[in-house]
Amino acid sequence: MIASVARALMSLASACLGPERRDWASAMQAEFEAAIEDGRPLAFAAGCLVAAWREMASVGEGRLVLASYALALGLLIPMAVHQFGQAASFVMVPVDGLLATGIAPNPYLVWSQNSAILMLLLLWLLLGFAHLTLAWVLVEGDWPRVVKLGALIGATMITLVLFAGVLMFDLAPLIAQARDLALELTAIVAAARWRASLALRATGVPLAW
Amino acid sequence: MGRTRRPSSQMLRLLEALSVRPQHWRHGYDLMKETGLLSGTLYPLLMRMTDQGLVEAEWREPEQLGRPARHAYRLTANGIALARDAAPARFNRLGKPALA
Repeated sequence: MIASVARALMSLASACLGPERRDWASAMQAEFEAAIEDGRPLAFAAGCLVAAWREMASVGEGRLVLASYALALGLLIPMAVHQFGQAASFVMVPVDGLLATGIAPNPYLVWSQNSAILMLLLLWLLLGFAHLTLAWVLVEGDWPRVVKLGALIGATMITLVLFAGVLMFDLAPLIAQARDLALELTAIVAAARWRASLALRATGVPLAW
Repeated sequence: MGRTRRPSSQMLRLLEALSVRPQHWRHGYDLMKETGLLSGTLYPLLMRMTDQGLVEAEWREPEQLGRPARHAYRLTANGIALARDAAPARFNRLGKPALA
């Protein structure tokens, strides 16, 4: 069990070190056999993982990878969870409860509001799935798909606001979402600019998007 | 590449271990045991010192059949010079002789 955990930590350390330090990852892996013989594989593997993280944090590209993980885990996934929660509220709360405060149920709008529930539910679910996918492609470093998903999220949000506004639904959750979305897109644009400047520094050629 | 910063205590321990027999290649795990440094400290230090041209690294054939090749390290001429410059105060404090 301990050896398996230690091997998993070693694999993680090797992955974190990246292609530029591949030789060092192999060196650690070779010494890992000596650590197993010495009965201290876990301490050795944990140390190698710390070494890999320290190495990542010391180079620009590594810092960008760590920042991408932080953005994905700290912002994008919580937003996706919140959006799934919003979608669930469309299933569980009656239409009256979704109306803006101070707005009484309007008999002329009830049919439209009821008809729109499914569409709004799908839009919230789309936002949630788009955020989960965005977190994944950001960590993968697949920037063309990050741009496409950012555009999809923006368009979905605008559609949601238009629908909810026309149907007199409560816009408060959407306004809060729009604020968080602005923060999120700003962070992603900053990460993209950071990546472009790293590429420019490494190759001397501006990055083509 | 010139190095102006004073070596850290961990680097001094590593320099001390590597400079006992500067021509001998040493393995990472043996250095860990000898210096008391953990792998999380030793490897970043070795990487940095290799980048700075203080340590050279080489893949060495295994001593026993069926074992993987191991990375081995020794001081370069610059590393030996740094050890000589940095060591006296430390060796005097510890009551040890300077480089062998």
